[in-house]
Amino acid sequence: MRKLIIVTILFSLVVGLGTASLAAEEVNLYTNRHYDTDEEILENFTEETGIEVNVLKGDSDQLIERMAREGENSAADLLITADAGRLHRARERGILQVVKTETLKQNVPENLKDEDNYWFGLTMRARVIVYADDRVDPAELGGYENLTADQWQGKIVVRSSENIYNQSLLASLISIHGEDWARDWAAGVVDNMARKPQGNDRAQATAVAAGEADLAIMNTYYLGKMINSDNPAEVEVAENVSIHFPDGENGTHINVSGAGVARYAPNKENAVKLLEYLSSESAQEFFAAANYEYPVNPEVEASEMLQSWGNFEAQDINLTELGVHNEKAVRIFNIVGWQ
Amino acid sequence: MKFLKNLKKGSPGWFLAAAVIIILLLVPTLNIIINLTEEAGDNWEHVKEYLLLNYFHNSLILVLAAGAITAILGASLAWIIAAYDFPGRDFLSWGLILPLAVPPYIGAYVYQGIFNFTGPLQTFLRNQLGISVSQKFFNLMNLRGAIFIYTIFLFPYVFLMTKAFLAKQSASLLESARLLGKSDSKIFLKIILPLARGAVVAGSSLVMMEVLNDYGVVKYFGISTFTTAIFKSWFGMGDLATSVRLAVMAMLVIFVVLFLEKLLRGGRKYSYSTSNIRPISRRKLKGKSKVLAQIFSYGVFLLGFLLPVLQLSYWSILSRGGELVEILSFALKSFLTGGGAAVMILVGAVIVATTARMSSNLISNLLARITILGYSIPGAVIAVGVLIFSLQLDSLWQSLQGFVGLELNFILTNTLAVLFFAYAVRFMGIAFNSVNSGYDKIGESYFEAARTLGKGVTVSFLKVDLPLLKPALMSGFLLVFIEIMKELPLTMILRPFNFDTLATKAFEYASDEMIYRAADLSLVLIIFLAAAVYLITHQKRRKN
Repeated sequence: MRKLIIVTILFSLVVGLGTASLAAEEVNLYTNRHYDTDEEILENFTEETGIEVNVLKGDSDQLIERMAREGENSAADLLITADAGRLHRARERGILQVVKTETLKQNVPENLKDEDNYWFGLTMRARVIVYADDRVDPAELGGYENLTADQWQGKIVVRSSENIYNQSLLASLISIHGEDWARDWAAGVVDNMARKPQGNDRAQATAVAAGEADLAIMNTYYLGKMINSDNPAEVEVAENVSIHFPDGENGTHINVSGAGVARYAPNKENAVKLLEYLSSESAQEFFAAANYEYPVNPEVEASEMLQSWGNFEAQDINLTELGVHNEKAVRIFNIVGWQ
Repeated sequence: MKFLKNLKKGSPGWFLAAAVIIILLLVPTLNIIINLTEEAGDNWEHVKEYLLLNYFHNSLILVLAAGAITAILGASLAWIIAAYDFPGRDFLSWGLILPLAVPPYIGAYVYQGIFNFTGPLQTFLRNQLGISVSQKFFNLMNLRGAIFIYTIFLFPYVFLMTKAFLAKQSASLLESARLLGKSDSKIFLKIILPLARGAVVAGSSLVMMEVLNDYGVVKYFGISTFTTAIFKSWFGMGDLATSVRLAVMAMLVIFVVLFLEKLLRGGRKYSYSTSNIRPISRRKLKGKSKVLAQIFSYGVFLLGFLLPVLQLSYWSILSRGGELVEILSFALKSFLTGGGAAVMILVGAVIVATTARMSSNLISNLLARITILGYSIPGAVIAVGVLIFSLQLDSLWQSLQGFVGLELNFILTNTLAVLFFAYAVRFMGIAFNSVNSGYDKIGESYFEAARTLGKGVTVSFLKVDLPLLKPALMSGFLLVFIEIMKELPLTMILRPFNFDTLATKAFEYASDEMIYRAADLSLVLIIFLAAAVYLITHQKRRKN
């Protein structure tokens, strides 16, 4: 027992010190993504460039807080996180730096990156209306504004406002229609809810299939996950609902998961290389497909499943707006009682 | 007399070591609390106006209900196990601790998975029996559901403590009451409960702290509590001042609850001591009462352990199993981290507890309070407090280097050492309590005898106390080990690069809504922890 304990302590120390020592060429990645395919993509990057990738996974908000606290001493080179609102928050906290390269300009469309090049979208998702096939005529759905109609009284399910995807959706509506309109809209949706917000996005689709509600507001990729689920019952749920891309006055709300180079990156050059690699044609396909998302690189086609859902018109705003209006959105949710 | 007092006094070396440990434990918390003095921004006003009442309401209901129900459940199970004999009793006496091996957030995913529309229960009803029932009956994602989850996975704290207490009680009280013709339920209510109250309250206050600080379950169920609010205002709004105010209010909730309990108890103190401790002779149950006791205790075991494990196994099969080698490497890492950190924490706890023993009551009480402080604050808050501390050390180191003219590229913040330290801040209280209860059992006379014979403090400790403390150390080690293996927020925020544990990996998959992938990892984690529980209980039994 005593030997075991001593070995344990020694091993832990070696592991701890080992991670602190520096390898030759490396890049340190803070990320909230944990898909198995990501490891493959990063391995390919290492093979092509000889740069080792060190990964620190964690919750997005906590990674941002950690980087901010670490300040100049931060080992982080590149931050990958979901949601433009959060990326904007990272910029506001002063932990990202401007990166300008031709490659990135070509690979990432103007509206899917920060206005001043602090961060770049890498994969894209849409927040859509999912409806019950047997009870809803998609022709009646229209845009987000229609969700407040009396017709949908007690028919809508959506997750808690604590979730950043809802905050970004409302932020986009504030950006387009103004704060007063957005408050009325949020209040109208709360009036039409079939139940108190609960569970994740999958739970919303399940509630629609179970007949608890007719409409769910959710992200596209969750439906992709359900279609490919290991649980046959979940696949069945996905088969009984369909996606409607809100059109109406103003297109579908899109969002990205993206990356920015850390302000105090010790390996800035390598970080830029990795960022460029992730936006490149060869990586984009897999990087987006890992989470059933749309690639941002216009040269790369979305997966077949995503194409089968049809095309859509996206909201005509720069995603930076999602971050700018985030705080207002959070407050509106609290005021109208969207839990 | 003076000579004896001197004997009790520790050596300055021990006192110094304990003081250093205590200061180290306090720094991260102070780093956070100091923000209370900072002016709160508009966020605080906004939170107060629209949200505070709701947080208060939800947290209070969860904490009180979980605290009360676990107290009843844990105490009555402990009584059944301690006072009666029936088939399966020996197994259940440790089997009922096993729910502790299931982290509540995994339990929440599992139960939601069982009961929801796509779960096995409803699928069976729908496809095999053609019955479709209103979703309202299966809705777990509310306060009631959360209370159920906390109760069923946390009651072992009460069960463990009450059972240990009852085992130390002399049988004569119980036997006298029986001879006087009192019914068993009367004995339980009138004699056992008042006597065991301290143990029951100690157990359920642990439960209440866990519930108040839990993030996984309430986040998944969409219930706003103080903890979700702390995360929301800090990590969401970037407003540390508001979140510290919330954290302090959350601690106040616990204090108020504990204070009320004390008030209710009044000045009454029940204690009963005798040198003649015989274990309670268990009465053999027959007939209806045997079946009832079995249904009750096996039922709890089923809900708290067997069912979740079966469901996870089923999911694991559905996902056709992960890569075993990979999982075992995670398991090994978790094991090494947990083991290494637990040893370190225990060494610290022994130093502090030994010093406390050699000090006045006032100081030893104070030490006990300080060590438990870390356990009563949400993990994420401690994590950032530790992070700030480690960064302070790093910048100190750098300026020192600049002063001496050295250039050593060493940054503490990205090492495992920081994570270990954070574990110590959080779990020192648990280790300290174990060591302390070990010392309570030993008493002081052996130590004093050794001192009278002219041995120093350190030699007396090593030769006399340490061997006697062994069982307490083992159980302290394993309790801390289990906690660390389940731990999430500290590990998530402070871990070094390329570092995963079973718990973090399982949580990542689960929060990505890939519960089937999380199943293998959760199963391995639960098996590890169950083995640890088996070890605790069985080494104790050998000793007694």
